[in-house]
Amino acid sequence: MALQLFFFTSIVLAQNNGYLTVGFESNSQYYMDDEKTGNFTEENRFRSNNYLKVDYLISNFTFGIQAESYEPMRLLNYSPNFNKTNLALYYAGYKSKKIAVTAGYFYEQYGSGLILRSWENRQLGINNALRGAKVKFSPSDAFTFSALYGNQRSGFDVSDASIYGFNSEINISSLFKAKTWSLDLGFSYVGRNEVNNNSNFNFNDLTNAISGRLNFYNNNFYSSAEFVSKSNDGIIIFQEVRDVKPGNAFLFDVGYGNKGFGVNANFRRIENMSFYSERNTTGNVYNQNIMNYIPALTKQHDYLLTNIYVYQAQPQVSFQDPTLLKIGEIGGQVDLFYTLKKKTSLGGKYGTKIALNMSYWAGLSGDFDYENFDYNADPFGIGEKYFSEISLEIRKKWSRNWSSVFYYVNQSYNKRYIEETFGNVETDIFVSEATYKIGSGKSLRFEAQHLWTQDDKKNWAGATVEFNLSSKLAIYVNNIYNYGNDDASKRINYYNLGGSYTKGAQRFTLNYGRQRGGLICIGGVCRFVPESTGLTANIVLSF
Amino acid sequence: MKYILFLVCFLFYNIGFGQTTIPNTTLTTLNGKSVKVKDEISKEKITILSFWASWCVPCINELDAINEVYENWQETVDVELIAISTDNARTLKRVRPMINGKGWPYKILLDKNQELKRALNISTIPQTIILKNSKIIYIHSGYSPGIENEFYEIIKENSN
Repeated sequence: MALQLFFFTSIVLAQNNGYLTVGFESNSQYYMDDEKTGNFTEENRFRSNNYLKVDYLISNFTFGIQAESYEPMRLLNYSPNFNKTNLALYYAGYKSKKIAVTAGYFYEQYGSGLILRSWENRQLGINNALRGAKVKFSPSDAFTFSALYGNQRSGFDVSDASIYGFNSEINISSLFKAKTWSLDLGFSYVGRNEVNNNSNFNFNDLTNAISGRLNFYNNNFYSSAEFVSKSNDGIIIFQEVRDVKPGNAFLFDVGYGNKGFGVNANFRRIENMSFYSERNTTGNVYNQNIMNYIPALTKQHDYLLTNIYVYQAQPQVSFQDPTLLKIGEIGGQVDLFYTLKKKTSLGGKYGTKIALNMSYWAGLSGDFDYENFDYNADPFGIGEKYFSEISLEIRKKWSRNWSSVFYYVNQSYNKRYIEETFGNVETDIFVSEATYKIGSGKSLRFEAQHLWTQDDKKNWAGATVEFNLSSKLAIYVNNIYNYGNDDASKRINYYNLGGSYTKGAQRFTLNYGRQRGGLICIGGVCRFVPESTGLTANIVLSF
Repeated sequence: MKYILFLVCFLFYNIGFGQTTIPNTTLTTLNGKSVKVKDEISKEKITILSFWASWCVPCINELDAINEVYENWQETVDVELIAISTDNARTLKRVRPMINGKGWPYKILLDKNQELKRALNISTIPQTIILKNSKIIYIHSGYSPGIENEFYEIIKENSN
């Protein structure tokens, strides 16, 4: 009998082969003293962030854990919540055609994330997974409903506030079996219940947020809109509740495209939309406890000098002093992509690709009462200019082996309002990149950059050389030099050299150099990193 | 005792180790339709999955480079490239005009909150995965100019 049972289970198992996957990531740095930028004065010169993720999939079930280790200590400027080694996440899930259930830790996003987004980004030190349960039900192609309950992860613990969520997606066009057009609607609710104590202000423990969305598409034209409204909630200024106000956000997008041409425009207005799982963590520098996702809607650059003055969205209420009052932002951006056809005079033999981006962001205007931390926002009032940018990218292939990219950026960065310090920075940046394919997997890439400005730290110059020895092995050296700095002692070279070795999904990188202090921004979220010099090693393994 | 031992052996025998297949995550099409990734992968053709983002310069270099030779590939072998955008809300709206502007012929799917990327333990993009009969036969992370030739060799070797 036992034998029969055993064979039966074996057959079942054999038919439903399980899969075990393991992912490991390690980011370590050895911090060194630097005669130019100063000695390393903190404890532990060697620091390391490590993540081990194990998932097991068998038929409709998945199980997984993630362990994290910050030993002997977390990398500089990661939240102190990330301390030592522990089990960070665990979950079990079941998924069928119509139902998906997850218990334990999970990630979720409603709409564009303006109302709720839990996600992970290891470079930014963000992991705001929710611990609880989530159920998703899709009775037909037209309807999807989901609900969740949980507490938000904070370090190796969770925050006290209870989070409730409900989301629905309705595909109107599939009800009509439409082929050429599509219309989707979405409604969401997010509640956060945190006991309001130690406050003289009266507001409910439960803060409610609702959102409505619409997506429309017809042939080459498409458009979407999203609206979020947050109920009365305490506004934290200087670590204390100073007022009680509702918040809201409106996002509108429209675009058109056909082969060789695409254009898209965004408009967004945001008023008092800071949303944290604990009120007293509002505005924390480590990006912990954030419930929603409000990225800067500007172009995300990928070159060193274009990432010095990066706009960050300004959804929060901030009354720093009578001349620095912020209640939200308003603005938009336009993107244009165009290909000049092959074998035309401008397109050349291989065609030329052009991308243009323009963005403008300003503070919301309104009536401000600094004494009482009170305000009344204008519906569509454009206040103090925060940021504007124009960027033009031209990509051109010259021959079988040569190709290049030209990139020009003009920025206006209101440092006073964005960073709440002082100054305004106007820049012009030019980047030129050329790649030469040597053949049999070898290639060389050169990059030259220059940033012109009369403001802040003045001019910068930079260069990169990258040599791919094969498809697996690459070495590089780069340097950015703040040669224009008025203070001669701050005319510093931020040089880096390193290499990477890739085999399948396994990747090792090693870097030695001096890191510019400032904001590291990924996906519109920025983390402040101090200047540092040292040796960095990254290992990514996947089995 | 020997049953237990046998069972343990059998269990290990049955467990597929490592990434041999793609988890059946839900992704979104450009028109906002939810689709299961496995339903999008052709059982007959060789499929290239390219994880990219609109802001990632090497990813765009790779997809531009493949675009140059894609027609030639498709004339000789039965191959399809699916470009899976990992853009989040910040840059997602740039995906469609970019694809139009560049005239990329690829099938595009969106992994908005990086569920598939996470399930596959992808830390850096671009990452390219080549599948045959829905099984992973090749993975490469990062872009080195000219790697498209290596992809083509793999595809040719594995096509019937």
